[in-house]
Amino acid sequence: MKHALNLAMAAAIGLMPIAAGAQSMSPMRGEVNSFTDAFAVRVFPANPYDQKIRVEIHVYDQDFQPVDAKISPSVFQLGSQASRPVLVVVPFGGADGRKVRICTESIPFPNQQTQIKAQICGKFFGHRKS
Amino acid sequence: MPLFRTAFGAALLVACLDDAAMATTQNVIFNGTVTATCTLVVATNGTMTASPDLQSLSSHNSGGSAGTATLTTTGGVSLSVDPVTLTTVPAADSTATTWTPTYSASGTHTIAETGASTALTVPGADLVSVHLAGTKGGSNRFATGNYQATVTLRCE
Repeated sequence: MKHALNLAMAAAIGLMPIAAGAQSMSPMRGEVNSFTDAFAVRVFPANPYDQKIRVEIHVYDQDFQPVDAKISPSVFQLGSQASRPVLVVVPFGGADGRKVRICTESIPFPNQQTQIKAQICGKFFGHRKS
Repeated sequence: MPLFRTAFGAALLVACLDDAAMATTQNVIFNGTVTATCTLVVATNGTMTASPDLQSLSSHNSGGSAGTATLTTTGGVSLSVDPVTLTTVPAADSTATTWTPTYSASGTHTIAETGASTALTVPGADLVSVHLAGTKGGSNRFATGNYQATVTLRCE
């Protein structure tokens, strides 16, 4: 049993970088149960470009209004083909549940006449348990 | 006697290598989960040019070009553009401009040019073209100088 558990852990750890590295942000959907006044989500933004890019993480509500969440880190440089974890802690604000969008944003080629900002947003639902 | 022992040992060894033991197999199970994902890779930014009457500054005009991005998704996501909020205009331009971002896509999904959200239900890859048009009404005209605008292309 212990051996099987070790095998499962090894498989999970081995799969994590592959899953994270192949996407611009993962996961893009999630539901979280929390027994506190906030819920936490860990996302993995990834840089699919062959160059270093500046990445910003923002949290919005369903109407795309900013949510006062703690994001660690919220702005960072990400190397080519790299991925890194970002921890987002969202307060319930007195509600029993909260739907938020966690978005990875970047402008890969700044200082051009018409810039394109790529935004990948995941939808997450936090449930407050008592 | 030694010969007998050797022969007996060899016979025992051959007996141990029976067909049943040779044919034993064990399945190794592989599991994998692919969740809804979307990757946007911006390839080129766009270029806007002015119309002869100077009331349009657009990537659709002659000499203008769309921005492009490649999209790869598992499906179960939607693609959209945001209203333009980040613009830089020359000081000589003091009149209002209406900015209209649109996009189209070709590849797995065929999306005619639109400014609305489009659901991408099936997995695949697409080339997304992003256009931006600025217009002025009445007697207003675009002025000499550099204009810059940012279009947000969203996959969620």
